[in-house]
Amino acid sequence: MDTTGQILRYKQPEKSYDVIVVGGGLHGLAAAYNLARYHGVKRIAVLERRYIGSGGSGRNTEMVRSNKRAHETLPFYKESLQMWDGLSAELEWNLMVQKKGLIALAHSDGELVSMRMQSDLQRRAGIRIEMITPQEIKKLVPALDISERPALPVIGAQYHPEGGTVHHDAALWGYAKAAGRLGVDICNGVEVTGFQIAGERVTGVKTNVGEITAAKVHVAVGGYSSQIARMLGVKFPVVTIPMQVMTTDIMAPFLDPYVASPRLHWYTQQTLKGDMILGGQLDPWQSWNSYTTWQECSERVATILEYFPDLAHARVVRSWNGLCDCTGDSAPVMGASGIENLSLDIAWGYYGFKATPACGKYAAEYVATGRMPEKIKPFALERFYNRQRVREIII
Amino acid sequence: MAFLIHCPNCGARNPYEFKFGGECKQAPAPQADAKAWCDYLYFHENMSGFQDEWWYHTMGCGVWLKIRRNTVTHEIAEGTAP
Repeated sequence: MDTTGQILRYKQPEKSYDVIVVGGGLHGLAAAYNLARYHGVKRIAVLERRYIGSGGSGRNTEMVRSNKRAHETLPFYKESLQMWDGLSAELEWNLMVQKKGLIALAHSDGELVSMRMQSDLQRRAGIRIEMITPQEIKKLVPALDISERPALPVIGAQYHPEGGTVHHDAALWGYAKAAGRLGVDICNGVEVTGFQIAGERVTGVKTNVGEITAAKVHVAVGGYSSQIARMLGVKFPVVTIPMQVMTTDIMAPFLDPYVASPRLHWYTQQTLKGDMILGGQLDPWQSWNSYTTWQECSERVATILEYFPDLAHARVVRSWNGLCDCTGDSAPVMGASGIENLSLDIAWGYYGFKATPACGKYAAEYVATGRMPEKIKPFALERFYNRQRVREIII
Repeated sequence: MAFLIHCPNCGARNPYEFKFGGECKQAPAPQADAKAWCDYLYFHENMSGFQDEWWYHTMGCGVWLKIRRNTVTHEIAEGTAP
């Protein structure tokens, strides 16, 4: 029985569309959904070379938050975090949004000072964030070791109560289903191999199932943007770096908020299912390979065990990696590509999942109107040429 | 480990002994315009396939090496030398 057919029917692409979205991940599907729902675009195709959600959309750690540093980008991240709240109703699909809070631990005075400065900036942007003491952390996370025993004891934390998790597969299916209902053609197994270019203009794409013309092409390919760049004969300001994540076997609920240590590069959360997600460090080199390593696994586990000694009995049952397209300023690239009719939504290696709802909204607005929405102006590609790089230090 | 790096001084070694230095690029001339320098600093080929890249053997011989590596398969090309 074809169970996927009941909620979503995959299509073979037709010969011509108003908008082609390259990449069937969360960002691509969200853009397609918004174009169909709010901008009245009738003929849209989402082309995905493997299956929807096979890239970063299904490999991230489900964290949602808006505790970034660069003030010009905070309104965008804040809006995205708030949009998750209404999305289950809008998409008619339970996204399992769980605003369980996010705690970023500080291990030194320097970190505390830096976190206070960030918190002031974030509060000014209307984001709920506060500094808490080790005793207050202990109330929220009884399993955390706040004693002097670890080499770098916990001396405070930044608490972001609106942060939490959203089930990434649920979000993907929510967008895919809603887009499918609005008549968007979702085409799995269709690989874009090149672009039809007339002068300075993109007029369509070449694929493994033939050429497809389109008035506009939107690129939302997650970790694979440099492959698109080579088809266009340009370069993008990204380096592809994998990030490894692990999950343990399932245990009784004991950890409520998301806990992270920016200093020691780890974060962990207990999912609704009961397993612990462990991760937090980008690999030290560039790669496009889907490997995991013993070194990363053991190092991450050892650092997390320092603070959660009760996890000593847990077994790591799976590990995987996802590709992060990283820019020099920890911010993505959205909007114009320098080629007419081709728009970008790339380089989301640091923050892609959380930003999905707002990205879909503003990417669709840009594609439909051709005007750059105010909230994503800081992400324009030109910033690398006119000294307006985003002053971001937080991943 | 993900792959081995063939250091001409130390032999096949664990890549975690090295510091990755990124893809090898040609720097623009000092008097080149700002655009050329921005392209050099911020934009990358970011090859999915073989590329020449810098690796510093920080826990070994302490030498910057040019290694030709396939970023998709992690295969290291034969005959690479510093």
